[in-house]
Amino acid sequence: MRFRAALSRLRFGSLRLRLVAVFAAVALTAAVSVSGIAYWLNRDAVLTRAQNAALNDFRASMTRNVGSLPVNPPCDELQEAANRMAASTQNYQVLLIAKDGNGNECAATSDRDVFTLDQVPAALQKAVNKPRPLKDGNEAAYHLYWQRTAPGGRPFLVGGAKMMGNGPTGYMYKSLDAERSDLNSLAWSLGIATLLALIGAALLAQAAASTVLRPVQRLGDAARRLGEGHLDTRLRVSGTDELAELSRTFNSAAEALQRRVEELSDREEASRRFVADMSHELRTPLTAITAVTEVLEEEADALDPMIEPAVRLVVTETRRLGDLVENLMEVTRFDAGTAKLRADEVDVADMVTACIDTRAWLDAVELDAPRGIVVRLDPRRLDVILANLIGNALKHGGSPVRVTVRTEDHAAARSASVEGGGGRREGGAAARSASVEGGGGRREGHAAARSASVAGGGGPGAGAELVVEVADNGPGIPEDVLPHVFDRFYKADASRARSEGSGLGLSIAMENAHIHGGTITAANRPEGGAVFTLRLPIPPAEHHDSGDPCDHGAPNEPEEGRS
Amino acid sequence: MACVPFLLLIEDDDAIRTGLELALSRQGHRVVAAATGEEGLERLREQRPDLIVLDVMLPGIDGFEVCRRIRRTDQLPIILLTARSDDIDVVVGLESGADDYVVKPIQPRVLDARIRAVLRRGERDSTDSASFGSIVIDRSAMTVTKDGNDLQLTPTELRLLLELSRRPGQALSRQQLLRLVWEHDYLGDSRLVDACVQRLRAKVEDVPSSPKLIRTVRGVGYRLDPPQ
Repeated sequence: MRFRAALSRLRFGSLRLRLVAVFAAVALTAAVSVSGIAYWLNRDAVLTRAQNAALNDFRASMTRNVGSLPVNPPCDELQEAANRMAASTQNYQVLLIAKDGNGNECAATSDRDVFTLDQVPAALQKAVNKPRPLKDGNEAAYHLYWQRTAPGGRPFLVGGAKMMGNGPTGYMYKSLDAERSDLNSLAWSLGIATLLALIGAALLAQAAASTVLRPVQRLGDAARRLGEGHLDTRLRVSGTDELAELSRTFNSAAEALQRRVEELSDREEASRRFVADMSHELRTPLTAITAVTEVLEEEADALDPMIEPAVRLVVTETRRLGDLVENLMEVTRFDAGTAKLRADEVDVADMVTACIDTRAWLDAVELDAPRGIVVRLDPRRLDVILANLIGNALKHGGSPVRVTVRTEDHAAARSASVEGGGGRREGGAAARSASVEGGGGRREGHAAARSASVAGGGGPGAGAELVVEVADNGPGIPEDVLPHVFDRFYKADASRARSEGSGLGLSIAMENAHIHGGTITAANRPEGGAVFTLRLPIPPAEHHDSGDPCDHGAPNEPEEGRS
Repeated sequence: MACVPFLLLIEDDDAIRTGLELALSRQGHRVVAAATGEEGLERLREQRPDLIVLDVMLPGIDGFEVCRRIRRTDQLPIILLTARSDDIDVVVGLESGADDYVVKPIQPRVLDARIRAVLRRGERDSTDSASFGSIVIDRSAMTVTKDGNDLQLTPTELRLLLELSRRPGQALSRQQLLRLVWEHDYLGDSRLVDACVQRLRAKVEDVPSSPKLIRTVRGVGYRLDPPQ
């Protein structure tokens, strides 16, 4: 039960999980694509703007400062110009390269530690120093070129241009750290936004799952209640969605089922009452006939030999009819649930002996029953069970029938079967009995559960069982008949349908065992012959009473008193 | 019982009445039959039967009512004919004062055995007497007095008291009492004992709801406490 509950929770969980996963995937995709596009657009815009501003400033500054220099400026002038240019608001370093009057190469940098020609990529130097042919659409021989570099992982913009007329070459070197940190913080924000979106989606999915799953769970609960037999289970229908539609379908299905079951149970009730009434009605004439048949029987010997067999036939068949009606009434009582238990303290050995004795079976039965097993049960019902089991064994198996009475402690038997030693036979019998049970299987399970709970709750000896085995030496029960031996009117062999009793005996025996909370199992013995095993739980309260000193004195008394 | 037992049979169904009359007569009883409760009570006034065999289901006043009316004035034994042994009929019948019951369809031999067993209960089997508190049981006269007044006990109640008084202070199980008093086989109905004990207590105890004489021994049966 707990396992099933856990399983169902897991199943619900997996649906919930799926919903959350889908929601999260959608949110993730949306957030990532939006942030990605936003990031790339932003990055492009930020970089382009910063770059253009720097390069434009550099171009203007170059024209202003370097343009005024002579073609071959002295080194110190060049240095001054570089420093002036670097003082711009754009905050870049400048490197100016020119040949002075002596033809010496002079490189003036605004900050020698930061920017030398080493930082300028060779490709850029080449592009800057390469004159372009003048033509339409290209009115200058030299252009401003730029490139982004990242020495040591830090982004820089390097730009370069050559003054017209073979003037000095100027390079600029601007750090893009500020832009990078801007972009980084943007990326962080976008990442956090994505994460938040993801969490929001998960929460939303959770909520959505709950709103979907709660009705589903209600539906599941209702279906389970319906399965447990509460046919009046209905769902409250609210809204117009698919779940409401499903609820409506469920309700109409439950209604139809209820109607159908009521119809069936009404019909069953009617037929049951008919059988009960009929057997009751049969009883009145039967009583009159039975009263007279005894008179006839006693006179039979004195009758005409032609008439005597007829009278005997009437007598025996009347008796059979009486038994049949009696059994029918017993069965209807069980079906109607009006059969009652009239429990009393009984010495089982005495009961079995008396049962065998009254039916004159003493010679045909080997009894192995220790005296002193006193159990609280309905003596009449135990007698019915024993008479049916032993009678059946005598009929099909022939004498001698062996009847064994013993008690079994449930807890002890269970631990023995766990050990696997002495308990093996018990375990085997239990397994076989389960397959034999057939129709009564559910009830047996119930009884087992009940006795188990008794064993758990009581003290020592609680959960003990009275076990009565009735074994014969006959041909045994064919495997295909075994599951049906307790069925009503089941005849193993069509040819021996007659004179085999009412066909209700074993079924009544089983019902009588059930009403005690016990059961009967049928099996074939490995050494041949059939064995029927009656198991009745011994109520734990009975054990306290047997400790009473009065109780021990009592059973030995009647012989003394009678004589 | 030297003379032929004289029975009053009250049964509404003609066939059963005729059949039982026939069978019981063959068993050696003298039988007077009545078809209704009213007729039965009338017969009872006219004649003096040893025992009444009474069907529960009767038109007009039913068997229980007949039983109650008889018990108001008379302690003669009554055997009920009931439809089912599990029924509430049995309990009601025993509470209204019946001594025993037989379930239909009735086998005359069984009914005869019950009749004879009930009639035997009134027979004297000892000549001593015993007293338990205010109760004096005179086994020779087959009478019981309480504070000197005669108690009206049915033969069954008397026999039950006699059997209990033979073993003062000792618990007797219901099955034992069924064998001793009712002469039933091992399948006797313990409700017979319970009902009879209730009726007996109502007559002999000072406060029937808290019995001082006939004690219930839980899980065993009943016990007559010896005089204190």
